[in-house]
Order: sequence, then structure tokens, then C-alpha cells
Amino acid sequence: MPEREDDILLGSLMEETWLTLDQVAAACPVEPAWLLAHIESGLFPHAESVAGVWRFSGPALQRARRMRQLERDFDAVPELAALVADLLEEMDELRVRLRCAGLE
Amino acid sequence: MQFKDYYQTLGVGREATAEEIKKAFRKLARKYHPDVSKEADAELRMKEVNEAHAVLSDPEKRAAYDQLGAHYRPGQEFRPPPDWDAGFEFSGGGFRPGEAADFSDFFSELFGRMGARDAGFRPGGQGFRGAGEDHHAKVLLDIEDAFRGATRQISLRVPQVDAQGRAHLATRTLNVRIPKGVREGQVIRLAGQGAPGLGGGAAGDLLLEVRFRPHERLRAEGRDLHLALPVAPWEAALGAVVAVELPDGAVKVRIPEGAQSGRQLRVRGKGLPGDPPGDLLLDLRVVLPPADTPRARELYETMARELAFDARRA
Repeated sequence: MPEREDDILLGSLMEETWLTLDQVAAACPVEPAWLLAHIESGLFPHAESVAGVWRFSGPALQRARRMRQLERDFDAVPELAALVADLLEEMDELRVRLRCAGLE
Repeated sequence: MQFKDYYQTLGVGREATAEEIKKAFRKLARKYHPDVSKEADAELRMKEVNEAHAVLSDPEKRAAYDQLGAHYRPGQEFRPPPDWDAGFEFSGGGFRPGEAADFSDFFSELFGRMGARDAGFRPGGQGFRGAGEDHHAKVLLDIEDAFRGATRQISLRVPQVDAQGRAHLATRTLNVRIPKGVREGQVIRLAGQGAPGLGGGAAGDLLLEVRFRPHERLRAEGRDLHLALPVAPWEAALGAVVAVELPDGAVKVRIPEGAQSGRQLRVRGKGLPGDPPGDLLLDLRVVLPPADTPRARELYETMARELAFDARRA
């Protein structure tokens, strides 16, 4: 059946800074208190505070999911989960570089 | 619907202790971890393992599952009898409703109430009015889509509550126009496409998290675009103007005289579109022509003889 123009939803792009603590928590999903505790412990580098309000960049979603899974699946302490998440993020970046260099 | 043997999924016996279940789960969670696993179906297997663990690690769910499933074999046609779960009260078992939405119809049929109770509405407003929850999904795009915009059909599995108050996973399909200039990791908001509100409250939004599929040549970092650019030795040594193919057409780039492999050229404004647009970053890679003809060998030999060049000392 041909696609009707009025069936198509128009998405609006949210700036990276648009994501709030509650939005990241709901998307991952984690408790807002869990996220806040990790930020305050310095384990969540993808967050920044502007005038006392936390805001998040897009990669924060994957970071929160990874840390939550590591803590839940392996009973990892938050510092260990953060270390593994750091390594996985670095691995992601290196894999992309390898692929673009034709080495993977 | 087919019966799922969660004990078989985790590779433990029906008499396994909680500690044995945890140990088996961790072993499989490591094996099928989607970030590191080499298994082809790692993501699917990890979902199955998570689902089995969500049931067997929760004493209430495990007891209900054991009572119901004692006479079933894996793959056997299965339909739970009405009110089979009377007397059981299910809690989250370490999994939040959003995660449980990834589980199978079999899980949803058995433990769907967990999602219905927790996933529906968030408090807000006065009286019984309540805004609907935001829903979340990932959308996979090609880098080319960021240049042109795209329309994607997105299928979401969302919990819906039937007349008996049980939750089932229903598939909802949306056609979404992705605006030009989208970046990886960015979130696209579809207003009013999340969960319906309660008592006339506003519906939540659908938030789509953008991921780019791996691209053979291009890599996006924010709005900047990285591209490995092969150049001939004479183009690098003498300088040249070369055409670079990009998703929205070719651009001509001047290679400066004396360029080397590993040097990066920045072309302002030729990255992903936006306000301002990103830059194009070209990583030069000098590619040698093969010495596979007498003439090519002769040219290399001439260079070897006449150029005072030592690659180890350059």
C-alpha cells in the first residue's frame, strides 16, 4: 500500500543538552537516585551540571545501560562497572577507527 | 505459544540452588555479553538468558513457574490456565519493566502484570490526571541519512493492558521522518507518541536514540566527518587537487606539497550538515603503485638510484 504523507510522523531533534536526569534514568532504565549517586561519585563523565541542573549528552544512555547491566549481572561494585564501561567505550572507538582504516 | 524451559536456557537442573543459578547466569552473561561476544547470535541469546534469570532468580516467579511448568516440555504448545497465578505476587526481580519489555511473549503471558502495574503511568497533575510515560527506542541510520534526512518504519513492542487487567506485548508500527543533520547519539522526540495519559492527562513522548550503522569509509564524530583518503606518492610529494566522494556529492580538495601518510587535512563546513555544519577531516594515506611491470620497476629503480633518500632517517 502506498505510504500516505500524513501517516509520517515528524521528529524534532533534541540538542544533546536537552536530556535531563529523569529522561536518561527512564530510558535506560535506572532509578534517578542510582544515576545521581554515580554522578556524584565521579563515575559518570557524560554528565555536566549547569546552574545546579544535570544535563546529559547522547552517549550517556549507553553508559548508564552498560554500568547498570554490569552491576546487576555480575554484582560489580560501581567503580568496577565504571572501569569496564570506560574500557568498552575506548574499544568502541578503536573498532570504528580500525574499520575506517580498512583493518577490520 | 511454546513453552520455554528456563532451566535448560541456563544449563542448570530443576533442583539448582539460588547460588548455582547465579553462577550459571554470570557464566553465560560473560559468554554472550553483546560488547565482547564472538557468538553470531549473542544479543538474542543474552535476552533469553536474562529472561530465564529474571524468573529463576526471583523466588516468587520461580515457584509459580515450577508449579505451572512441571508437566511441560520445551517447545510444547502452551497456554496458561485462567487465574493460574492466584496467590502469587510478582516483584521486579532486579529487572525494571522497560527491560522486561524485551522478553518473550511467553514471559509476558506469565508475568505480564509486573509490566502493567509498574510501566503504565507516572504521577502528575491533580486528582486522577496523569501524564503518560515517555517511551524509548533506538533507530539505526546510515551516515548518508544525516545528509538527506530519511523516513524509517519503526516497530515497537509496547505493553498493553487487556480487559482482565493483564499486560500483553503489542507491536506498534510508526513511520518517522528523520530530519537532515541528525548526529549519532542524538535523540529525536516524537511528541505525544509515548504512553497515553491517565484521566485526560497528556500522552508521553517517544524518544528515539540515533545510532549510525558502521560505514566502510566514513566515521562521524559529532558533526565532524572522518575519511581515510588514499593518495598516490606523486600527489603527496608534488601536491595535487583530488576529488573526494561524499554522500551529497564530490568536493575537490587540495593536497599540499610534501604531504605524508598520517597527516590530517581539515575541510571546513563539509562534514555533517547543521548550523554550523561540521568539518571534513581527511586522514591521508600514501598508497604505492605495485612494481609489477618492467616499466614500473624501472621507475622505482631510477628513484632508488637518483634520490638520496633513506626512509629510516627521513
